[in-house]
Amino acid sequence: MAKFKLASYWASACGGCDVAILDVHEKILDIAAAADIVFWPIALDFKYQDVEAMPDGHIDVTLFHGAVRNSENEHLAHLLRAKSKALVAFGSCAHIGGIPGLANLFTKEEIFKRVYQETPSTVNPENITPQPKVTVAEGDLTIPELYNTVHTLNQVVDVDYYVPGCPPTPKQIWNVVQVIVSGKLPPKGSVIGASEKTQCDECTLKKNGEKKITAFKRIATAQPDPAICFLEQGFLCMGPATRGGCDTRCQLSGVPCRGCYGAPAGVLDQGAKALSAIASIIDAKEEAEVQRIVDQIPDSLRSFNRFGIPASLITRKVL
Amino acid sequence: MKRISIDPITRLEGHGKIDIFLADDGSVANCYFQVPELRGFEKFIEGMPIEEVPRVVSRICGV
Amino acid sequence: MTFEPKILGILCNWCSYTGADLAGTSRIKYSPNVRVVRVMCSGRVDPQFILKAFAEGADGVLVAGCHPGDCHYIEGNYKTIRRMALLKHMLADYGIEPERFRLEWVSAGEGDRWAHVVNKITEDVRKLGPSKIKKTAKKASPAA
Repeated sequence: MAKFKLASYWASACGGCDVAILDVHEKILDIAAAADIVFWPIALDFKYQDVEAMPDGHIDVTLFHGAVRNSENEHLAHLLRAKSKALVAFGSCAHIGGIPGLANLFTKEEIFKRVYQETPSTVNPENITPQPKVTVAEGDLTIPELYNTVHTLNQVVDVDYYVPGCPPTPKQIWNVVQVIVSGKLPPKGSVIGASEKTQCDECTLKKNGEKKITAFKRIATAQPDPAICFLEQGFLCMGPATRGGCDTRCQLSGVPCRGCYGAPAGVLDQGAKALSAIASIIDAKEEAEVQRIVDQIPDSLRSFNRFGIPASLITRKVL
Repeated sequence: MKRISIDPITRLEGHGKIDIFLADDGSVANCYFQVPELRGFEKFIEGMPIEEVPRVVSRICGV
Repeated sequence: MTFEPKILGILCNWCSYTGADLAGTSRIKYSPNVRVVRVMCSGRVDPQFILKAFAEGADGVLVAGCHPGDCHYIEGNYKTIRRMALLKHMLADYGIEPERFRLEWVSAGEGDRWAHVVNKITEDVRKLGPSKIKKTAKKASPAA
């Protein structure tokens, strides 16, 4: 069988998705046997001009990680879309915005001010901030323009498949590779390498019955029993509103789910669904008592929608 | 003045770009290293519960 | 020209919708700014409905149901209390003014109260001016 051409690119990302691909361990040799890697900045020395020189549709599959945060990310999203037969939004950032998407609760100016003026380790008496173009003695230097709002990949270009997770688990990555190699690709727009159902559906922690909580606890001040459902113990867990498929890695490591796999099938807004689920288990009827309990959640939006603000019904803080 | 652009710098974590300017005799006249990426962790973790911060800042670099 | 807010009302079938009907049959005059959607119970109101209304350009959203203890389904509106309390925090984090979203209890006999509630949210939202949520989304769109 002819080898298929594979590319992997990071936009606004941390590189964890690339490392997750390497975490398939010795199976990486099978990937190398089945695929010609034509672009992969973390591992191989290809330049942007090499991609630009490819004919359209040259790459069979591009795994695109990272959110679209600046003009370079956007350019590469368009470029790789044109050069790829299948474009995969790989990992939470490309899928739903991910952790970089939390920047949508602030403006570019607020971020610049904090980063380039206010942080204790910053010495910047001339208040220099990044400019898309700077003229120096030798010529012009350019860097990409940072956008005010973080976008998911499918808000910028047409996306064929989604692989959720921050990062996707190596097991799921291997499943995805096998789907690609088999050539039996699912319908366009499918979420692959994950379940249709929720985390709770596959979570193995002990559930005692009906959940009723009268106080929210925090891991900073209370110790959860790692064998019992976090919600039953009063710790905020995003399991009920998060797509399954990761083998509940966090819950089995003693910390509640934070929702990186995004909303389950059929849900428009992960944060809204999460708060709806949590509301159902609060054991109070009086308005004042309910208020007292919900006020114990210190950081509502970032708790209920840690990874998916750019993909939500309201994609950023109101300007 | 001749310019050599290395874009992107590969085989490391993150985004980097180098512009090298060569003098007429071929020697390096000047060289600029640029980091074209910013996500803003310094700002967007403000006000977050302290126990949540490790799980967010671990996404600064996944390598 | 004064700004006329567009407000979405989501009303429970048994109390608030009937209360709104009573306001009409009693010929009570009140602001025409609330567009009503009827649901069987305020406990059926998914927070997604409210976010979607705001995302699509509503200047305000009013959810109305039976008074606590009067729910036709016994406990539906207790769930509403809890959901909407959590949702109010989330809306605040999005930078949405609290006056744009209200949860009110209106019984089938309270036509006058319905008129009062509608007038109140209409005036509050009118003072705030048009919602910027849809505009923000347009400004933030990658195509812009």
